[in-house]
Amino acid sequence: MNTKKWKSIGTVLGETNISEFYFSLKNYKAKKGDIITTESKVPSSEGKIEEVTVWGKISSIESTNVFFPTEAAQELTNENINIRDTILPTTRDELICKVIILGFTLKNNLKLMPLNYPVRPAAPVSYPSSEDVEALLISDLNSEHPLFIGSLLARDAVKIKIDADNLVSRHVSIFGMSGSGKTVMVRRIMDELLKKKYPMLVLDIHGDYLGFIQKQKKLYPKNEVKLFYPNLSVSSDDKEIIYTLIDKLGNSLTDPQKDFLSSLLEKVKYEGGSLLKYIELLVRKAREYASDSSKSFKNIRPASMYVVVRSLGQVAKKLKNMEQTNFRHRQKMSKLKFEELPDAATEPEKIINKGQLSILYLKGYENLPASAIVSILLENLFKHRQEVEEEIPPFLTIIEEAHNFIPSRSEDKDNLPSVDTIRKVITEGRKFGTGIMIISQRPSRLDETIASQCNSQIVFRMVNQKDQRATTRDSETLSVDDSKQLPNLANGQGIISGQVVNFSLPVQIKFDAELINDDIGNENFISAVENWDDKESVKQRKKFAKDFSNITSIDRRRAN
Amino acid sequence: MSNETDIKNKIKSNSSLFTNFVKNAVSASPKVQNNFLDVSAQVALTIQKILEDADLITNLEYKGKDFWSENKCKTSCFVDGGVDKTSIISSAPLSIRTGSYIVKPDAADKNREFFEESMVFLGDLYDPKNELYDFAEDDFDEDQMLNKKKDGARIIFEAVTIVKHILLNRKFDYCFLHGPIEATVMPFTVMGFPTFTKFAVENMLPFYNKNKLNAEARHFINVYLEALNSIKKSKFPIYGIVETSNSAPYIKNLLFNYKSKGTISEKDFKSTLATIKNYKITDSHLLEIILQSGQAIKPLEVKKQIKGFSVTSGSAWEEKMDSFPSVHIGYIKINDHSAPIRIESLNPSKNLIKDYEYILATARLLPNYGFPVGLNVVDKFAKIPNWMSKASRKYYATHLLKQAIRSKDQNTISLAVKILSKKVRSWRNRPLGGLAR
Ligand SMILES: Nc1ncnc2c1ncn2[C@@H]1O[C@H](COP(=O)(O)OP(=O)(O)OP(=O)(O)O)[C@@H](O)[C@H]1O
Ligand SMILES: [Mg+2]
Repeated sequence: MNTKKWKSIGTVLGETNISEFYFSLKNYKAKKGDIITTESKVPSSEGKIEEVTVWGKISSIESTNVFFPTEAAQELTNENINIRDTILPTTRDELICKVIILGFTLKNNLKLMPLNYPVRPAAPVSYPSSEDVEALLISDLNSEHPLFIGSLLARDAVKIKIDADNLVSRHVSIFGMSGSGKTVMVRRIMDELLKKKYPMLVLDIHGDYLGFIQKQKKLYPKNEVKLFYPNLSVSSDDKEIIYTLIDKLGNSLTDPQKDFLSSLLEKVKYEGGSLLKYIELLVRKAREYASDSSKSFKNIRPASMYVVVRSLGQVAKKLKNMEQTNFRHRQKMSKLKFEELPDAATEPEKIINKGQLSILYLKGYENLPASAIVSILLENLFKHRQEVEEEIPPFLTIIEEAHNFIPSRSEDKDNLPSVDTIRKVITEGRKFGTGIMIISQRPSRLDETIASQCNSQIVFRMVNQKDQRATTRDSETLSVDDSKQLPNLANGQGIISGQVVNFSLPVQIKFDAELINDDIGNENFISAVENWDDKESVKQRKKFAKDFSNITSIDRRRAN
Repeated sequence: MSNETDIKNKIKSNSSLFTNFVKNAVSASPKVQNNFLDVSAQVALTIQKILEDADLITNLEYKGKDFWSENKCKTSCFVDGGVDKTSIISSAPLSIRTGSYIVKPDAADKNREFFEESMVFLGDLYDPKNELYDFAEDDFDEDQMLNKKKDGARIIFEAVTIVKHILLNRKFDYCFLHGPIEATVMPFTVMGFPTFTKFAVENMLPFYNKNKLNAEARHFINVYLEALNSIKKSKFPIYGIVETSNSAPYIKNLLFNYKSKGTISEKDFKSTLATIKNYKITDSHLLEIILQSGQAIKPLEVKKQIKGFSVTSGSAWEEKMDSFPSVHIGYIKINDHSAPIRIESLNPSKNLIKDYEYILATARLLPNYGFPVGLNVVDKFAKIPNWMSKASRKYYATHLLKQAIRSKDQNTISLAVKILSKKVRSWRNRPLGGLAR
């Protein structure tokens, strides 16, 4: 580190302390988010005085022209005078930067230590070289497995890496409004983890991750990428989930009807398999009980039983519909190979395996069934990690549109089975290597306990104040100054904080264009319309439409 | 042309003359109180008549937009000095700063404006025999002397700053000083006023070395006179601009000229001067009533240092007073609601109207305050706490301690330490500026 080569960019001002200071900046020499340094002295533990380099991050910049009298603006406006023609000062904008102190380093050692003595007022402030900033960040991260994710927002040349170990063992939340760059960021992380053969499971609602399948041969020849469609397969253990599903998806039931439903679930044993089959079985059995009422259920009238039968029929119909929708979406992507999701209870290794990325394509499923699917899947996988035999390696679960799976209690959503499961996995996950990454546009709508368990955060552009508040509430490391920056971030610019880095950093995430799903791509409705060609049926309809409309109009005329 | 009732209304409605009179009315005799309106109106009418007779009133033109687009190529320099605010505690060493704001509006950003500062400490400036640390027996005397030293230092320093610009052959179209171009030197003629150090004089006026800088040569009067004589030789026009005038040099000289010509009798002259004194009538007061916004009165040549006046009488410096250059003073009324500003120069103006219109335009940029904005800018600059610039802060600190330690006086040392450890004014408390946000 050659501090002599660093450019001087300003002077420390007035009162300083050990956590922050202000400095006056020379025009255009640094930006918000930049990492800067100042030389200082601290007393060492041996009572010596040591020369140190103090590192800080510019958290805000204010500009004032102290010499410009307010009155003058009045005359300029009234007389329509160009300020540049007058003797008024225009170039003496004074830039005052607020700096959050990151720590200090000693000569020839890049270990960042907490500052315990204030920086010197009037000391010069320098702009360290990109190599030195990068070296500091790397040394400070002290990571065995760094993941490259992008560059420091204010400085392209400074590459930013985050710590993989903390990423997969703790939990990460990724927030930001729609289109702000969350998914691009997740794909970046997945790319890095794939290279490390770390197993991952992605819950993909929109098909944002299908690019991994398309590019697997080219980009990840040593990895396996599997694409699953959900199969609501249940076992007798999942009675509670089944009850909830039927209760919530079907018609609303009275108390006696509910009693009948739970007794029915008790009575009709099931070895496991498709939920739809089980429901069909339940329908048959319920009909039987209804027709010979006296025997099994004394207190329940057959009429009530038929209500339950009809409700079960409803549930079956809805589930079939969702399966159908999902199927149709899959068909559109005929080039991709979809497999039915294996039973996580009995064959977890088909889902979680070294070097494998598993994508669960959930498009078409309503919240509740999707939640049930996820809940059963994660419960089973987690169980396998808990067991002594450890049938599957540690893995990372990536939950897109997390508000669908872990809504806040205040959202007043139905009691989704996935909430409890994910809460359990996230609180105990550290022990068992089941890290979770939650992604959402609406942090304010997420379950508070789960969100606060995420000890690393990546936040993208966010305008909604409620969401901003929720974000800072859940974070220990995101500062108020950081959160003020959120509305001004551009696509792909995020602030990373928490255990994957050591201090919050504004980052420009690297965009992997290759990982975009070619089949769905980005919404580009204009070109979709440009290339639009009517379907055969539509063409036929259009062919006759004119004739029919003629008939109608003639008909009307006569009526008048 | 205003008639008497107009004038009276003007006096009553918006003149500082009236305000001033009301303030002082308590101490004035009943007769003076009663006659105030009539008398002052009559004086105003008479002066107005003389001004018109002498064709001294002139109308200036101001067209904001056009003016500035025509004059954006001009380079102007604004100079002001100030006593360093951070060091005003008791009689601790004081530093004097002079700032220059140099601006050429149509230049590229890099060369458009320059803020230059020079700074000096009183302890460095005056002869160590009169070290400021020597506390006088009498606090009042001590304060008096300290104030004189401060004033003297500021006046010299401002003048020297202009001299430096001239010596460096700076290409200015205009140079303006915040304050009189030639100060009244009378206060510095008192017995015991310290001389400047050799070092200080050599630095201030490098070319000035007659008599090998003996004590007399290093006295304020001689150094200042030397500086004024160099200023007088400047190729570009230099004006001192004074906000409000609390004396009546213009009126008195005007009357004196008319008396000399024989237009006014000795008796009338004397009694009018007495009236002016009685009613505390000043140039500003009277011209505020007489002039319309955008009008000026052409300069008169005036002697600033009047021999035989007050303390100077009998002083060793009395004879020197005649050597000081005379000053040309005129007034411009910038807007309706403020008193006219005084314009002083050592030489007669070559382009009087053009110069005055330039001053008017710079003052119109402060539409309420009605004072050249460049001087307002440099005033703020000279007042900025100097720890903003590291070098001067460091210099100040070491200097202060050295001085204190040299004095071997425990009180002084502890005072110095106190000043150094005193929390400097937070940068947030700077004088207000910038666009209202
Ligand atoms: N780091 C980046 N660099 C360049 N462009 C980016 C970056 N991140 C995002 N973008 C652009 O923004 C688009 C949307 O990004 P992305 O799909 O990641 O948004 P999102 O936050 O996941 O939104 P949603 O909540 O709607 O899913 C991308 O397709 C890309 O065009
Ligand atoms: Mg997305």
